[in-house]
Amino acid sequence: MSIFINKDTKVLIQGITGKEGSYWTKHMKEMGTRITCGVTPGKKGQQVEGIPVYNSVREAAAEHEVEASMLFVPPRFTKDAVFEALDAGIKKIVTIADGIPLHETMEIRKAARQADALVIGGNTSGVISPGKAMMGFFPYWIERVYKEGRIGVMTRSGSLTNEVTAMVVRAGYGVSTLVGVGGDPVPGTRFAELLPAYQDDPETDAVVIIGELGGTMEEEVADAMNKGLFTKPLVAFLGGRTAPKGKRMGHAGAIATGGKGTVEGKVAALEAAGALVAQRPRLVGDLLKQALTEEGR
Amino acid sequence: MKLFEYQAKEVFARYGLTVPPSLTALTASEAEQAAKDLECPVVLKSQVLRGGRGKAGLIQLVSSPEEAGQKAQELFDSPHGVRRLLVEKAVDIDQEIYISVTIDAEKAEAMFMLSIEGGVEIETLAAESPEKIHFEYADITRGLLPFQARDLIYRAGVEGDLAKKLIPVVIKLFSIFKDYDAELVEINPLFLTKQGELIAGDGKIMIDDNSAHRQEEYSITREHFDSDMDFEAAQDGIPYLQFDGEISLMCAGAGLTTTVYDLINYEGGTVANYLEFGGPNYKRAKRAMELCLRNRTAKVLLVVTFGTIARADVMAEGIVSAMQELKPEIPIVTCIRGTNEEAAHKTLAAAGLDPLTDTEEAVRKAVSLCRGESR
Repeated sequence: MSIFINKDTKVLIQGITGKEGSYWTKHMKEMGTRITCGVTPGKKGQQVEGIPVYNSVREAAAEHEVEASMLFVPPRFTKDAVFEALDAGIKKIVTIADGIPLHETMEIRKAARQADALVIGGNTSGVISPGKAMMGFFPYWIERVYKEGRIGVMTRSGSLTNEVTAMVVRAGYGVSTLVGVGGDPVPGTRFAELLPAYQDDPETDAVVIIGELGGTMEEEVADAMNKGLFTKPLVAFLGGRTAPKGKRMGHAGAIATGGKGTVEGKVAALEAAGALVAQRPRLVGDLLKQALTEEGR
Repeated sequence: MKLFEYQAKEVFARYGLTVPPSLTALTASEAEQAAKDLECPVVLKSQVLRGGRGKAGLIQLVSSPEEAGQKAQELFDSPHGVRRLLVEKAVDIDQEIYISVTIDAEKAEAMFMLSIEGGVEIETLAAESPEKIHFEYADITRGLLPFQARDLIYRAGVEGDLAKKLIPVVIKLFSIFKDYDAELVEINPLFLTKQGELIAGDGKIMIDDNSAHRQEEYSITREHFDSDMDFEAAQDGIPYLQFDGEISLMCAGAGLTTTVYDLINYEGGTVANYLEFGGPNYKRAKRAMELCLRNRTAKVLLVVTFGTIARADVMAEGIVSAMQELKPEIPIVTCIRGTNEEAAHKTLAAAGLDPLTDTEEAVRKAVSLCRGESR
């Protein structure tokens, strides 16, 4: 099972002939991802790692089965590429681009929701189900981080994900699916929107969220737990507890979030909803053990 | 990027919003002259990006050009890094209104907030009487339609002539938000004068950094930063924050760097600076170390990374060659992991460094080195 992708998911790569695109296509394929075709405008007829390349998503999708699209497209062209995939009817899209203009991230999220599609990213490493499939760029060969298992992971960060996931593995667990929702202010998909999939996944026993100060995604997770939309154990690690008061968005940020956004507020909301919050990355493993033992798993 | 008030008001004026007559001054004598030209009373407004300027004494009402010169000198001499004043004609105020447009990330729409009770206590008002803040949302491509502006204004309890005057303000605010790729456009306070005119008393515009390539009108200058170091690092594209503690942080990845910052505090250590050389900067260890070593309060350099594309071996080589070139006098603690970490650890060990692999262990070691405990 796993969520979002598994070894049978048919994946298209947009930007497949670029340096990053071709390098990570090789790795995604090696890991077991089922890549059916690729797109780079003007490069029709080429092959990358034995995968046929087309000029457009329409053209590729007419010739091949495509369920998901992985974008290796620069930030300024990401909106165009996401809309191209959405127009072709693709419902799962991952974009790693770091630097998508803010207003375009709003357009992307809005369009994805209207199309009933999930866009993961930007500013993320992507999605990985260790031992099954990957859409993104993860050092899956580092066994002490990307070990197959039964813990779902959702994260806003990159290198902190490696740090925290290593602690999950050190505690004797592995990962079912790790989703990097990305570090942009308006990510295509938010933590709480992925919880139902983890809830329904028989191969996920618990979820770890790796959050940080700012935004309201952690509070939304707490809301979802309070509403009973997620009932499996949930452990959180949040960076930035001691961060000096960072940039403030005039008064608007404080008014709009009504006190949300601080790490204290997030910890309180999550704990009240029954989540366990680790103060240090190392404690994530201990808390998982505690939660799963109580559950009797 | 945040615009200064004087820049935000330039933008407001261009969109037909009324702002008080004003001049900018870089010296006390320019301020005195401006006060003469504008005719007193005038307000001297320090052009700094911090909030709470009024409470910090950075805004001064003066009644003569001589007083303007004198107060201006005091502001330039204050420890707040004031480099420019906006000298503005004082406004005869009847009422203060709050209005802003920012982003609702969950809805992925522009979000307007309006309260007819604005001013510096707006956050208190929002906390104590949230029902007095009124919201409206606009799709970024459809824009804010006039009916939405009207609905917002009438819901906020504004009526008659003032409502008619406020509608174009709301609509223009969205145009600015859209045209400037803004994260925030805020007018607080928006003055209603005794003559019934609406005038922007203050202005905040934050432009999205990811849109800088298509927003060339305003750019980052020295005035945006507290210290020369912060400015230099920013020009290099290396995120850097100056503190005055003992551990100089040279880490990759914002989330990891923030976490290491937390761990140092938990262990009773202090941070000299926050420097993040991940992402596109991972090959620039030398430049990063150069910036860290300039820090006079630093007693230890702590390097923590766990990268994928930011390869461990490349960062380790960068650190070793930077060490050879810069010959740091302070000890270096490394915890470099990720892609090609085995090669990285060999490189570090060959250079006489102890390649640690556990973040907390590395933090504890850095803290104990600061305390003068054994290496």
